[in-house]
Amino acid sequence: MRRLMAVAVLILAGTAAAQARGTIWDGAYTDAQADRGHTAYMQNCSRCHGESLMGMFEIPPLVGRIMPYYAGSKLSVLLEYISTAMPLGRPGSLSPATNADIVAYILKSNDVPSGGKELTPDSAKAIAFTAMPRKK
Amino acid sequence: MPGGADYGLVARDRGGHMDRRHLLKQSLALGGLAGLGATPAKAQRAQLVPIRAHPDRIYDIKCCIRPFRTKGPNLAVEQVGDATVIHNYGHHGSGWCLSWGSADMQVQKAMSFAPRKIAVVGSGIIGLSSAIMALRAGMEVTIYTRELIQRARSYRANGVWGPGTVALASEAQPGLGDIWEQMVRTSWKNFRPYMGMAGNPIAWSEHYELSDTPFDAPPPAPIPMANGDPAPVFYDMGNRIGDITAIPEVLTDQTNPFPGVKYARHSTKMFWNFSEYSHLLTQEFFARGGKIVMRDFHSPSELGHLPEKVIINCPGYAAHDWWRDTAMIPIRGQTEWLIPQPEVNYGLTYRNVETRSKSDGVMVIQIGPEMFAKSWKNSTEVPNRAEAETAVKVVEELMSRFPNATRG
Repeated sequence: MRRLMAVAVLILAGTAAAQARGTIWDGAYTDAQADRGHTAYMQNCSRCHGESLMGMFEIPPLVGRIMPYYAGSKLSVLLEYISTAMPLGRPGSLSPATNADIVAYILKSNDVPSGGKELTPDSAKAIAFTAMPRKK
Repeated sequence: MPGGADYGLVARDRGGHMDRRHLLKQSLALGGLAGLGATPAKAQRAQLVPIRAHPDRIYDIKCCIRPFRTKGPNLAVEQVGDATVIHNYGHHGSGWCLSWGSADMQVQKAMSFAPRKIAVVGSGIIGLSSAIMALRAGMEVTIYTRELIQRARSYRANGVWGPGTVALASEAQPGLGDIWEQMVRTSWKNFRPYMGMAGNPIAWSEHYELSDTPFDAPPPAPIPMANGDPAPVFYDMGNRIGDITAIPEVLTDQTNPFPGVKYARHSTKMFWNFSEYSHLLTQEFFARGGKIVMRDFHSPSELGHLPEKVIINCPGYAAHDWWRDTAMIPIRGQTEWLIPQPEVNYGLTYRNVETRSKSDGVMVIQIGPEMFAKSWKNSTEVPNRAEAETAVKVVEELMSRFPNATRG
């Protein structure tokens, strides 16, 4: 019986790990990517959203409320929105890789931890955008 | 942008070229309102307080995208999952002018499904007006929005009565003229109760059209758009609302109050003081039990998950990206705001610049064909300081002609 329990615990732990790997909180981008994203952000986004991503009254901030506003969707939803609607004055003009870099930078700016694999339009489809896990 | 919707391109044809027979017919139908704003020629020149128009008095520059839809406003009803979505967006620069009429039309459609609860998506002037209309009709209403009206694009409008065109001539949906007129007339009636209220949520002011050339000179040929498009041909609403449109009175050398200005016309314009009007709407919304949920939507399918199954959809320009509505075309607009001068009780147009003295400042905006060419399909929503100063300097130069002009 004890052995069965141990197996069950292992299975449960494995499932939890698999789920964790599927969220933005388990390393959805790399630090190098966020650095590139920072450069691209300053060139293409900061004019409206500000150097600190705080926005400006009519222009939405990209830190803070973006987390609850996107929670519950896949990370690809944010990436696709940026890819098609931004920069506002010339929407869709940045490359897919640059848009992914910018999303990496936004995640980092919201204290979402980096990981070992770069974010791509494909990988974003499998990553759940969830609210920050509560500390146990 | 109310009043900005025609970009000053058609206003010159009003008045002198108006179809008087049509006007009379309409006026009789409405109890003789024809000639609104036309006053008997004044024997005396009005004494005007000069506007203190200097670039260093610009305290705000507001920039927005007019939600122009080539087919006219989307008023269609669509099924999303098990939810019925009633669209209400794409009013170009006439959202404020059409707000109550469009709200009324779409709330009636919503009520035909006999819901108890209604959701409204968006809280610009169309969303907020729709929500209040639904509350007034006895519905329980929740607004889902990512911004309150003070941060919505509506709030960055010009805010003067003057419902303009809302579609391209080649793409306008059938019956658009009738729909537009009904919206205008319903709105007009609904604005009436706000007049005379404390804080002047809706007010009137004198308006002077000034020109260096005669008003009956032939209009300039259309110019191509900055992006290379030919000049768009807008759907012509004709003289449907002549009875509630100001007819300018031509001023003579004796009655023209502007020194050094050769040609002048006078009329009266209705306008919104956004702070007061939006505050009143918000107060009424909450007083009637309305609820607001702050949230963002990313795809139409998310509407199917709302608890309300009848939804009035008022996203404004956001429909371009959210609903991938390719008929939505951005048309940029910018207003500059000078420190308030309550003693200035008039507005003017001169050399493609328009002004309006409001409770929260003297609004200045560039209009005309060249400005429009730069605005067409332009979704740059960043304030342009140089554009603001150019507009203010036109007014500054005009005001320097007054002998009692003061600096700063």
